[in-house]
Amino acid sequence: MNMEAVGKRVHVIQGEYKVFNDPNVVLSTILGSCVAACMRDPVVGVGGMNHFLLPGSASSPASGGDATRYGVHLMELLINGLLKQGARRDRLEAKIFGGAKTIARFSNVGEQNAAFARQFLLDEGIRIVGESTGGEHGRKLEYWPSSGRARQYALTGVETQRTVQLEVRPVVAPRPVESSIEFF
Amino acid sequence: MSIAEKIKVLIVDDQVTSRLLLGDALQQLGFKQITAAGDGEQGMKIMAQNPHHLVISDFNMPKMDGLGLLQAVRSNPATKKAAFIILTAQGDRALVQKAAALGANNVLAKPFTIEKMKAAIEAVFGALK
Repeated sequence: MNMEAVGKRVHVIQGEYKVFNDPNVVLSTILGSCVAACMRDPVVGVGGMNHFLLPGSASSPASGGDATRYGVHLMELLINGLLKQGARRDRLEAKIFGGAKTIARFSNVGEQNAAFARQFLLDEGIRIVGESTGGEHGRKLEYWPSSGRARQYALTGVETQRTVQLEVRPVVAPRPVESSIEFF
Repeated sequence: MSIAEKIKVLIVDDQVTSRLLLGDALQQLGFKQITAAGDGEQGMKIMAQNPHHLVISDFNMPKMDGLGLLQAVRSNPATKKAAFIILTAQGDRALVQKAAALGANNVLAKPFTIEKMKAAIEAVFGALK
């Protein structure tokens, strides 16, 4: 029997993150110039994935700027979600995917997003155990959060173009709570 | 000397990147005396030895979290008057209420813009320039 067929498939869309410790769950996503960071703690078997696209200026996590802060925020949400389910920061390992080079005028965005993820993980001391970034084609990605196994399929040129068109261009100002400052 | 230059700020966050970003934002706002700690315990150690005027602390941290640090700061006579701003990646009503009850001056949701950080600090210290 194909065990994967009975697994629970959870899709992660742009701007989201999901964390699971269920070995039957497979996280999936479709990436054009977007990047997905997959992280897990192999000891407790909890893992997760985020999916983001930052404007081209956000290539270095420490460079400042609202786009960078948004990217750091999405990474932090995933890490906090993992820690909440018993993961330990010093055991985390990561795989990064996506960041395809696509339409000419956006050519750098994918690459810079991948660079952002790489630099963030490096700065935070989180081991990168796998990476597939860049290239001309988008990716369909599957990640088993509990085992850390990942599988990807290259999208065709047409699929890549369609995916890139659907990817929301620079997301800078998300609204996490109704009012972001509370004055007492 | 501007007000910002006189204020000693302690940044407490377990993420290196977040500490760098916050330090950068504070420098842009004119702060010069900035110290950083990686968790609440370390933060309190620094505060006890060298009380800072303003603590900007993440909520979610190993060892001692932001609320634990807030409690420790408020219960030490040498540090209890420090201004305290809590940063949180997960905006949540209950946390805001708890922080207020424990004597936080502000709660700021991540990701924040520099303008929001400035407003949060100015709400405590008045105009920075």
